[in-house]
Amino acid sequence: MRRLTHTEIENLLGAHALDAVAPPEREVVESHVPGCASCRSELADHHEVAALLVDPFCSVPTGIWGRIADALEESPPPLALAPVVPLTRRRVIVRRMAAAAAVVVAVGVGVGLVAQERRFDQVETAMSDDMPRRAALLALGDPDATLVDLRGAGSAAARAAVLPDGQGYLVVDALPALPPDQTYQLWALVEGDRISGGTLGADPDVVAFHVAGTVAGFAVTAERAGGVSASANPPVLIGWTG
Amino acid sequence: MTTDLSQESDAAVVVAIARWHPDALSEAYRRHGGAVFGLARRVLADRALAEDVLQEVFLRLWNEADRFDPERGGLRSYLLAQTHGRSVDAVRRETARRRREERKAEVVLEPEYDLEREVEDLVVADHVRAALTELPEGERRAIELAYFGGHSYRRVAAMLGEPEGTVKGRIRSGLCRLRATLTQAGLVER
Repeated sequence: MRRLTHTEIENLLGAHALDAVAPPEREVVESHVPGCASCRSELADHHEVAALLVDPFCSVPTGIWGRIADALEESPPPLALAPVVPLTRRRVIVRRMAAAAAVVVAVGVGVGLVAQERRFDQVETAMSDDMPRRAALLALGDPDATLVDLRGAGSAAARAAVLPDGQGYLVVDALPALPPDQTYQLWALVEGDRISGGTLGADPDVVAFHVAGTVAGFAVTAERAGGVSASANPPVLIGWTG
Repeated sequence: MTTDLSQESDAAVVVAIARWHPDALSEAYRRHGGAVFGLARRVLADRALAEDVLQEVFLRLWNEADRFDPERGGLRSYLLAQTHGRSVDAVRRETARRRREERKAEVVLEPEYDLEREVEDLVVADHVRAALTELPEGERRAIELAYFGGHSYRRVAAMLGEPEGTVKGRIRSGLCRLRATLTQAGLVER
């Protein structure tokens, strides 16, 4: 399918919200929307209106809840958050601007794992494709967590949640994908220092990290693939603790 | 966690679902199961298939609660988008002739129904029906055929003998017009 203009994509939003587009058009819209705030907002509006068209008073057939409840017993056990590991085995925050590039612990959800420079056994066994996003959701709802909203130009945004034990999660709301030879990198602002939280990949979604010390804020920069020990680039996202 | 989920917001209920609380899923089912089944039933016209969609949608909510983002819309809107997508896929897979039947709305009083919520739904439904009848016929027909008929806009265009671009535009403008009317009535924010 030929490349569509933004106007052509906008004209598809109504039909897309009603599942009335062909698969190639659906793919175009679904790949465009995450990076376009106006289209994302319009699509949400159309979904909301479509939902209102539905008769809310239909009686639910008997027996279906029983089938659902039976299936719940087959669900996986309650989520356990990733265990705290000794610093010698898990290194996410690099204390000094060393010569080596920052080491990454980043787990993606859905599409695939973010490339890593080193695997840590405990994280690898504790995490599955599904758990990081769920753990992040729990952290965001934890009353003891420190929450930081990161903002950037346009609609770029992310949320960070840091639990009292230093376990943290970054949930990216909107960031344009970088070329394959670049990566986003997370920085924790601790006691006047900018400490690398590891590389996030070119198109991050949910990232787990660990931080020590009192965090004043977080920043995300765009760097060359592999990351850097010291960034000379302005942040694409930045946020401060309350 | 609060023990009275009926007083919690949809977002709080979803957080509870993400913490593997079955009663939270039950609450979500109580609130939105009727609308989910109603939409599936209307699109599919096959009760058994609609029941399967109902089950799938709520099991998906249980297993992937983290996919719901309250900042991008309400839980009902999210569930109905899932429902419609699955229903349309099932319709387009079916080669058998679909039969349509008119169904009248019924208010079902469950043992612990929420009167305030039912009344609110009644008010909203009345306004939506009125807003639909006020739409230009071309927009209303395009939306109904696409949404409840499960047809692509191209198929709708062929059915109505209209250009595809015209139908695509009418769907979009019709939805925008509905939203404007419902916003004016105070039923939709912004």
